Amino acid sequence: MSAGMNRSQGLSSLKRKQPDSKSPIESLTEHERILYNLIRSKQDMAIWTRDMKRETNIPDNVLNKSLKSLQAKKLIKEVVTIQNKGRKHYIATEFEPSKEITGGAWYVEGSLDTEFINFLKKHCVKIIYEQKIVTLEEILDTIRRSRAFNVEFTTQQIEEIVNALVLDNEILEVKSTGMGEFNSIPIGKVCYRCASKAGLKAEPKIGAMASIPCGVCPQISLCTPDGIISPTTCVYYTKWLDF
Amino acid sequence: MATPYGIKLAVHLITNHFGTLVAKVCDNLLRRGPLTLQQVIRYTELTPQQVKNSLLILIQHNCVQAFTLESQGGFGDGPKANTQYLALFSNILHRMRFPKFLEIVSRELDQECKELLEGLLQNGRLTLVQMVERAKSKRKDGCREDAVREGLTKLLAAHFVERCPAPEPLVPEQVKVETTSKKRGTKSAKINEESETIEQRVLAAAGPMEAQRFSMITNTEFDVNGETSTDDSPSLIVGEKRKRDSLELDRESTAEEGEVVLWRANFEEFLRRLRHMACIENVRASLDDGAVKVLKAKLDATRGLEKKVKTEKSVPLSLDNIFEEVIKSEEGRVMTLDDVRASLVQLGCPASARGTADSYSIDLKKIIESAQNDEVESIVLKRYGRDAYRIFRLLSKNGRLVETDKISDTTFVEKKDAPKILYKMWKDEYLHMEKLVLAPNRNILLWKVNKRPLWEHVLDEMFHAALNLSLRAAYEWDKEKEVINPLEAMTKEERLKQKNIRILLDSSLLKLDDAIMLFHNF
Repeated sequence: MSAGMNRSQGLSSLKRKQPDSKSPIESLTEHERILYNLIRSKQDMAIWTRDMKRETNIPDNVLNKSLKSLQAKKLIKEVVTIQNKGRKHYIATEFEPSKEITGGAWYVEGSLDTEFINFLKKHCVKIIYEQKIVTLEEILDTIRRSRAFNVEFTTQQIEEIVNALVLDNEILEVKSTGMGEFNSIPIGKVCYRCASKAGLKAEPKIGAMASIPCGVCPQISLCTPDGIISPTTCVYYTKWLDF
Repeated sequence: MATPYGIKLAVHLITNHFGTLVAKVCDNLLRRGPLTLQQVIRYTELTPQQVKNSLLILIQHNCVQAFTLESQGGFGDGPKANTQYLALFSNILHRMRFPKFLEIVSRELDQECKELLEGLLQNGRLTLVQMVERAKSKRKDGCREDAVREGLTKLLAAHFVERCPAPEPLVPEQVKVETTSKKRGTKSAKINEESETIEQRVLAAAGPMEAQRFSMITNTEFDVNGETSTDDSPSLIVGEKRKRDSLELDRESTAEEGEVVLWRANFEEFLRRLRHMACIENVRASLDDGAVKVLKAKLDATRGLEKKVKTEKSVPLSLDNIFEEVIKSEEGRVMTLDDVRASLVQLGCPASARGTADSYSIDLKKIIESAQNDEVESIVLKRYGRDAYRIFRLLSKNGRLVETDKISDTTFVEKKDAPKILYKMWKDEYLHMEKLVLAPNRNILLWKVNKRPLWEHVLDEMFHAALNLSLRAAYEWDKEKEVINPLEAMTKEERLKQKNIRILLDSSLLKLDDAIMLFHNF
């Protein structure tokens, strides 16, 4: 599964924070040493090449050559920041880029890994639908046992996904009463069930206001009975009534 | 409360039913609050006779209530009384819903009752004699006065009809409390608060005593002096015998009886029924049939005991009584006591394994709020998209200010997209925003959903949409009537299409009106 494969590098690498002790620090040139110390001083926040030039006054060609050398020696690595994807940022290898610049576990190369997230969401909904009512730990357990992904998820990560599903109104968060369908779950424990009785394919009910052109109209505040935008001249109405 | 578009909609309804002169008077009363006759004449620039006639029509149809505010005059004068006229915004809007009220009576009572109610809705208010006359003129085979009396009795028993209020009650001056006026913010909020209080006070002063409200027995049999003896408020005067010097209502009086009672539709009861129906429908969508049966049974059993329409919790009832009510219907008989208990838990009642004598009360306010949330969230989803829907739900559930970054993290929205979506919703007044300045170039934006102002804003948009639907329907109807020449007459398909258009517009308005009631009346 390609989605899983890509993610294994992203997620599992976030967990490893061991410094590489075999780096040849001694064989650095003067410029390389200055740059390396500067990059290291920024710790997990990384630094933009332009900022490096400003702080060290090293000319461009020397700067680039030094950075290439440091990279080859595996002392620094390039990272993409979510705020400025086009600008080259560098970080010392012993640091993992902070959440502020990567966006967090769900970001890949500066963008939200939407495909993976949606896949994981659908998988969770399926688990909840099949088991009718389920706790967070049970979801995590089912995912682990299913071996559908070759990465380990933390409880927090699954909780984030499940919370997003609650916000999508695809599932409901409920508290166990210990009775009936909550039989095996301790009273008060948070669990999840599908929001709609129809299950996976159900569409949320459209409200009265949302069913008419005015409900979704971006110009409603400009519309008046006799104005340029009015119900009698409205193109959305004409389209809606043209069936 | 009367929002800007609410007023426009109300005036539109009055124009359609009674013409532009009456609408002008109504418009002034809605926008300016209670006015005296002289003030109305001055603001509308109509003749005194035109204004008087308009007010008479509006009072006849329960859209305006006259009252006298007791106020202290200047030095040396005694307390002065000046008749003022108050527009009843909610009652004007009810004119859109008459078909719904008729349908309720048709379903619960019989055809005779429905026709009686129709007469009351069409004429505003009638005496029993007028009702009989109307029934006679409608039926070619003649009709028995008993049948009409019987129909009226049934309607009164179900509280669908009530006695008309006093024509001009005396409302005592309210003792002003200093602290409350200082707390109020904007001027318009103050006017709204004050006028709401005035409306409540006037209606309370005008309304007949509960014991008399739904009783056929005339006043003369109750008391002699024209003053009610068990009444708490000394200002309540049952107005039939009181001398009036300003307006004379067109009313019959029979010498023998001495008292003639005017009857009108009791909007409060219809609203209560519709509110119960809305609760049941909402529960049907989110829970199972068992819960629906139990809720319906409980509401049916305790309807007569509810004090006001916007009751927060249903009247407490024991499990035994609930079960008794449930098994009255055929579908209910399949339920066991345990089923009923489980349904009550589903409806939010705390689980109790003790006896069957425990009282259960269902939180109706929560059901209504959930329906309101669904409606607003549906608008957000359709208008701004799925990402915005998640964001809105997060802020709505949270109830507190949340930072942009936290919002994009929790809702899985791209960090660069979140601010754009939030800004769009804020510009349309769906979100509240606050800026936190941490350093010269470091600002953090915080966002929140403020339910009360948002609900008012959504309601105003709904009034606007209802007005639009109504205007478009009128426009389409005019288009159809423009075809005069038979040669140019519409083809069968065109006629069918116009018919379908009208059906769509009418049904959309009825559905939207349910949503309006959800926010305004329930």
